[in-house]
Amino acid sequence: MTETPCSVSDPPATPTDVEPLLSSGLAARDSGPAALERIRAVVAQAWVANSSQSQVVSHRSRGRLALWRGLAIAASVLALAVTLFAVRPAADRQMIGSLARSVEGGTDTSQGYFSRRSVAAGDVLRVGDTLNVRGSLLVTLTQGGTLRLAKGTVITVSTDSQITLEHGLIYLDKPPGNSDVRPLRVGTRAGLIEHVGTEFEVMSDEHVVRIRVREGQIRYSGVTGPVLAGAGTEVVASAGGMVTQRSVLSYGSDWQWIATLAPSFAVEGRPLMDYLQWVSRELGRPLIFADEQARESAHRTILHGFAQDQATLDALADVLSTTNLSFELAEGAIRIHSNR
Amino acid sequence: MHRVYEEDRALVARMRAGDQRAFDEFFNANARRLLAFVSRRSTMDMASVEDVVQNSLVKAVNHLGSYRAEAALFTWLTEICRHELVDTHRKAVRRPTHVSIDEGTTASVVAELRIPAHMEPESLLETELHAAAVMRTLQLLPQHYARALEAKYGDGLAVEAIANLLGLSTAATQSVLSRAREAFREHWEATPADAVAKGSPR
Repeated sequence: MTETPCSVSDPPATPTDVEPLLSSGLAARDSGPAALERIRAVVAQAWVANSSQSQVVSHRSRGRLALWRGLAIAASVLALAVTLFAVRPAADRQMIGSLARSVEGGTDTSQGYFSRRSVAAGDVLRVGDTLNVRGSLLVTLTQGGTLRLAKGTVITVSTDSQITLEHGLIYLDKPPGNSDVRPLRVGTRAGLIEHVGTEFEVMSDEHVVRIRVREGQIRYSGVTGPVLAGAGTEVVASAGGMVTQRSVLSYGSDWQWIATLAPSFAVEGRPLMDYLQWVSRELGRPLIFADEQARESAHRTILHGFAQDQATLDALADVLSTTNLSFELAEGAIRIHSNR
Repeated sequence: MHRVYEEDRALVARMRAGDQRAFDEFFNANARRLLAFVSRRSTMDMASVEDVVQNSLVKAVNHLGSYRAEAALFTWLTEICRHELVDTHRKAVRRPTHVSIDEGTTASVVAELRIPAHMEPESLLETELHAAAVMRTLQLLPQHYARALEAKYGDGLAVEAIANLLGLSTAATQSVLSRAREAFREHWEATPADAVAKGSPR
């Protein structure tokens, strides 16, 4: 059979109408509103972290300024009465944790409108306190676990079992086996988040609330009803009530900010296995033993000394250099193997 | 400095001061257009396109101080996107992809096979070839011609908005658009390509 080559380069008889060509050729694939909201959440988080949150101006609050001024005189009488209530001894209010470490900038606390002051490592966090974090902050929780707050975050301790994230980014770490009678809940503009032995991150601004579950499971209760989300899931709830979910990695650069706030691990007298499990949770990477000998060695080896103030992976390398074990990061996991 | 760049400079200054409304203006004006910008220049799936735009916008808000208002804010953002796109492709080349055929259930695999009619491979290929041919032709044009055509026919901007983007008057922009269309037509007709790529998609 003979094939006839077709001509593809003959010039058209009439000038080409380029407008439909351009319109069809430049038509872009579209992303849905959920994708845009996800991107907005991440970008807003970066923006908040880079602009001094104390300077963030809410246009809604600005618009209400005149009204507030008008009410100021009338409110002053009420304020006097409330002040008398507010200055009651702090010890009356229940403690939920203490500030363990502050990085790059200070933190203010206030109770109501009356007693704003700077706080530092060692200060306690009580019901009714509002924390305004100008740097970033690690809080050790009384019931176990830690709470990490990114720069620019504002939270209020609503009750002994609930904090309210006004805006910003937090990371709650409740280790497994830490069975609370009343688990700590996180209130946001878009709903309430309860954990079930887990590590998760919550970001909130005026438009969206984003939850990323790193371990365990959380229950999010918004206007559209409860949503259960497990490890490796991101839930985004928009101000309009739309809730979407997608899979996310539990390790990598997105989680880098919490590494700078990692609580220290007391190594003295502890089995190496405990330390490896702690590193595994901190990095969001499962622990894999290449051989049974390595696993047994991790159980048998008892650590001595103290942890240096260094990055988690560097510390892991230092610790393992004193043993017969080595590690590598492989496909999202930490792989421990015996030295040959 | 052109007036619009001054407006962009002011917007960036408000963002740096922490003005939430400024951030909203910035995001609403640029995010969707950047998604379109990247998707036109890449055959990556939309999730990867979204990652490129997200990373670019994060870099932009992290380095707002380096915006000098020497070009429109959107133009500055597209430059960041171009670098991000190059990085992404470079990493993809270095990282071989392994997909397990055991992952997922049979039902999900079967579901994936049911493609809407407009997404049939033949139709998709035709659309992609046509889009690639249009982009190739745009690349042969002077940069401000290509930018004007993309803004009008890709982003659907009005002439006034394109004038702001190019830093020109409205009349001058209309003239640029007219000359750009003519230049596009000449290159389109002169460049040999296969019939499928140059025909309009179904």
